[in-house]
Amino acid sequence: MADTVAERSSGLVETHKGYNPRVLFFYFLIAAMLLALTGGLAYRQLASNDLYHEREKTQNQRRILVPGPRGNIYDRDGRLLVSNRPRFAVTLYLDELRKEFRSQYIAIRKAYREADDKNLPTATQMERIARFTVVQRYLDQVNRTLGRHEELDADELNKHFSQQLLLPYLLVDDLKIEEYARLIEQLPVVSPLQVYTSSIRDYPLGSLAAHTLGYVTGNDNIDASDEDFSGSDFARFTDKTTFKMKGTIGREGLEANFDSLLQGETGGAIYRVDPAGYRVNPPLSKHQPVHGRDLHASLDAELQIAAEKVMTETELNSAAVALDVKTGEVLVLASKPDYNLQNFVPHLSHEAAKDISDRGAWINRATTGLYPPGSSFKILTSIAGLRAQTIDPAATVNCPGYLQVGGRQFPCHGGHAHGDMNLAQAIEKSCNVYFYHQGLAMGVDTLAAEARRFGFGSPTSIEVPETKGSLVPDPEWKMRRRDEHWFPGDTANFAIGQGDLLVTPLQMAAFIASFARDETITVPTLEHDPAHPVQHTAPTGLRPEQRAAMLEGMEACTVTGTAKVLSSPFMKIEGLRIAGKTGTAQKQTEKGTINFAWFICFAPIEDPRIAIAVVAEGDIAGEEFAGGRYAVPIAQAILKKWNEKQGRAPAAGVGIATP
Amino acid sequence: MPQQRFDQAKPFLTLALVLAAWLVVPTAVKRFLRAGFFEMQAPVEATASYVRDLQDFWSLKTRSNNELIEAGRDLVHLNAAYEIRLQQDAGLRDEIERLGDLLKLPAPDGYRAEPARIVRRDFSGWWQQIVIRKGCNYGITEGAPVIYVGGVVGRVREVHAYTSVVDLISSPGVRIAACIEGDMRPISYQGGVNPTLAPARGTVEYVPVDIFVTPAAPRRLVTSGLGGVFPANLTIGYITGVEPSTDGLFKTGDVQLEPALSALTEVTVLVPQGPAAGK
Repeated sequence: MADTVAERSSGLVETHKGYNPRVLFFYFLIAAMLLALTGGLAYRQLASNDLYHEREKTQNQRRILVPGPRGNIYDRDGRLLVSNRPRFAVTLYLDELRKEFRSQYIAIRKAYREADDKNLPTATQMERIARFTVVQRYLDQVNRTLGRHEELDADELNKHFSQQLLLPYLLVDDLKIEEYARLIEQLPVVSPLQVYTSSIRDYPLGSLAAHTLGYVTGNDNIDASDEDFSGSDFARFTDKTTFKMKGTIGREGLEANFDSLLQGETGGAIYRVDPAGYRVNPPLSKHQPVHGRDLHASLDAELQIAAEKVMTETELNSAAVALDVKTGEVLVLASKPDYNLQNFVPHLSHEAAKDISDRGAWINRATTGLYPPGSSFKILTSIAGLRAQTIDPAATVNCPGYLQVGGRQFPCHGGHAHGDMNLAQAIEKSCNVYFYHQGLAMGVDTLAAEARRFGFGSPTSIEVPETKGSLVPDPEWKMRRRDEHWFPGDTANFAIGQGDLLVTPLQMAAFIASFARDETITVPTLEHDPAHPVQHTAPTGLRPEQRAAMLEGMEACTVTGTAKVLSSPFMKIEGLRIAGKTGTAQKQTEKGTINFAWFICFAPIEDPRIAIAVVAEGDIAGEEFAGGRYAVPIAQAILKKWNEKQGRAPAAGVGIATP
Repeated sequence: MPQQRFDQAKPFLTLALVLAAWLVVPTAVKRFLRAGFFEMQAPVEATASYVRDLQDFWSLKTRSNNELIEAGRDLVHLNAAYEIRLQQDAGLRDEIERLGDLLKLPAPDGYRAEPARIVRRDFSGWWQQIVIRKGCNYGITEGAPVIYVGGVVGRVREVHAYTSVVDLISSPGVRIAACIEGDMRPISYQGGVNPTLAPARGTVEYVPVDIFVTPAAPRRLVTSGLGGVFPANLTIGYITGVEPSTDGLFKTGDVQLEPALSALTEVTVLVPQGPAAGK
C-alpha cells in the first residue's frame, strides 16, 4: 500500500531535467522585448532628448517679451530733446480669472435652464458671455473709481482671450496722474486689475527739429536678441509660444538711423502654463528690460530754436542748416513747415496726418529739398575760375546790365548796369554779367568738375535721409537726358547757379564750410563727438591772394552788398565779421515763376567756426524775393545766438522756450 | 501589537481627518466659523485691554502730588496751545469755505475722527496688524484710514461688532498714493515683507527720476490726498534711498517707518462722511 502511494507521489512531482527548449525560447523572447523596451527608452531619453524637451516647451511654456524703453536724445550741450514718459493704463490679467469665468459660466447655464429658454446658446457662446460679464464687472469697478464711462469691446476681448491670454488686457488707457493715484490706493494689492506702466516718447521741445529727430511707430515684432535671456531658444518655436508686448521702432530721422543704439533691451518672463493656456505662477525665469543707450546729437537746441523762431515768423517754406566748420557737426538742421512730434504719441491720428500732408510738412527741405542755388553758387564759379586761371581777381569786367549770349540777352542782377567790376566787387554786388563772362571763359566742363570736386551732385552721407537727386548738369547729361546739345547760354546760366543745377541746403552748407576751411569736402554729421575731431580734406588750391579777394567780396556783401541788412543797426552783430553771399533763384511752376531766396555764410572770417546755408521759398509767383530780405534774417538769428554763446559755459538741462 | 500601533497613530489620523474635513467644508461655513471665533474672542481681548488701562490708571495713581501737579501744568499748556491751533484752524476753514463758495467748488469730503484703543498686535514677516477696540458699534467702515499723531497707521481691513482689524502701513497689503514733501507728483507706497526683530520698512515705486535721496538726507514721504482714501500731507515715513529701475522710467526706494508704530496704544480712525462715505 505504502509502495503504491510512493509511486503515485513520484508520478505527480515535477522534476527539472536540464533546460527546456520551449522555456528558453520564451527567455529569449522576453529578453528581446525588454531590450527593445530599454533601447526605446534610452533612445527617447538620450537621443531624442532635445526633441521632447522642445515639445514640452511648446506645450507647457510661454514666453512674454517686454520691450525696453528707448534711449534719450540730447543736444550737444546735454539738453534733453527726446525722452520717454510713463503711460499709465489699467489692465486686467484674464488668466487669473479662470475660476470666475467658470462660476459665471455655470450661473449662466443654470439661468438658461431654469428659464427653460428654447434658444439655449452653445457652450462656446456661453463661455463668451461669461467672460464678457466678468470683465465688464471689473470695468465697472474701474469706472466707479475713476468716474469714467468706458465700454467693453466684445470682439476685441475674445480676440485677446484666444490669442494673447497671458498678456494683460487693456481696460482703460492713458490715465491721468490723478486717476493713476486713485487706482493705486483703491485697488487691492492682489487683484487681477493692475495699473500697468509703459513708456512712450516725449518731446519736451514739441516740434523743434522735428524732421531731424524723427519719430517712432508701434512695433508688434519686438525681438529678444540677447543670448543670455534663457528664453531666446523660443525664437525657434511657433509664434504661439511667445507673447509680445508692443514696442516701438524709429521711422524717421535720428530715431530711425540710430534705432539699434536707442532701442532698449527686450526683457520678459517664461511661464509654465496648463493645457488650457492659463499661467502657473511664478515665472520660471525673468529678465528685466533694459533702457536703450542715449544719443548725443550734434544739434544745438538754442541755435535751432533761434532759427525756427524766425522761420516760423516768415510763414514761408524754408530750410536752414548750420555746421561746425571744423568738425562738420550739424548745429542746426531746420525745415518749415514741420509737425509737432507730440502728435505722434501714442500714435498719429488720421486728421493730424492729413494736415501734415496738406501743408507739405512731411518733407525735410534741408536734406531732400532740391533748389537751384542762384547767385550763392557764384562762390564756386569764382573758385573754378581762379583755379583755371581764367579769373584774375584784379581784372575788371564791364557790366552794361546785360550780356548777349547767342541769340538771347542775359540780364544782370536787378537789371542794373554795374560798370567795371573786379572779382570782389562782383561778389559784393552779385553781378551776373561778370560771372556770365567768367563761366563762358572757363567752360562748362571746368565748372562742372569743380562743382563735383566740392561734393555737389552726390549725397553728403549725413545720418538722416537725403535726396540722391542733386544734379550738376553738363553736355553729356543734357544729351543723355534730353537729347539736346549744350549751348553757351546753358553755361552762362550754370555760372550764376541757374538752369538745371540742383542742390540741397545741406550741400550748400557743407560747401561753404569747406570753403571756410579752405578745403573741398565737409562730411556733415549729426552725432556729437566731445573730442571734436577736425575734418581735413583736399585743399581748395587757391592762392592766399585769390582767397583774400574772395573773402573781401564776401565780407563786403554783408556790409555794403546784397546782404548789407546784416550791418543795419537792428541786425548787426557787434564784433563778428561775416563772409556771405546771397542768391535768388527762379523755378517755373504752374503758378508762374517762383523765387527762392538763398544766403550762405560763415563766421568769423579770421577763424571760421560756423557755416550756414538758408533757403526760403517764395509763395507768390513773380514776387520780388531777394535773399537779403528773407534768408538773411534767419542766418542772422543763428549767428547772433551763436555769438552770444561764445565764451559762456553751456547751461545743460536748462528749460528753454520754444518758438 | 498591531492594535497598539494603531492606538499610537490615532492622534495623527484624527488630525489628518480634521484637516481633510476642513478642506471640503464650504467657504461660507469657514467664513462663518472664523467670524464667530473672532466675535467670541473679542470680549476677552477687550476685557484684557480694559484691565490693562485700569492697571495703567493705578500705576499713575502711585505718582507723587508734585509730579501730578507738574503733569497737570504741562497739560494746561498743551491744552492752551491746542486751543489756539483750533481757533486758527477754524479761521482757515472759514476762509477755505468762503473761497470754495466763490469758486462754486463742491464741498470736500469730510471725516469723523474716532479714537480707539489698541487691544492686540499681530506682527509677522508677512502681515502686520493691530486690533482696535471699536467696530460696527462706532460706525467704523472697511477701508477707513487710521492715523496717529505721527502720521499714518494703516487702513481698516475687517470690521467686527466690537473690534476692527487694521492693516499697518508696514504690511505688504497696504498701498498708498503718496508724494514726497514739497513735490506734488504721486508715487506708490507699499508695505514690505518685514524681517523679524527688525524695524518695519516699506517701498516706493514710480519715483520720478529727478528725485535724489541719500541716507544722509532722507525725504519725508506724505500722503498725496489724490487716492481718495487718505487725506493729504500725513506722514508715512522717510525715504532713505532711491535707485533707478532698469527701464529708466522711474526710481524705486526704501522707506523707513516710525518705530513708534509697533508700540502704539491708541489710534484715530477717520470715518468718511458725506459723499466719500459711499465710495
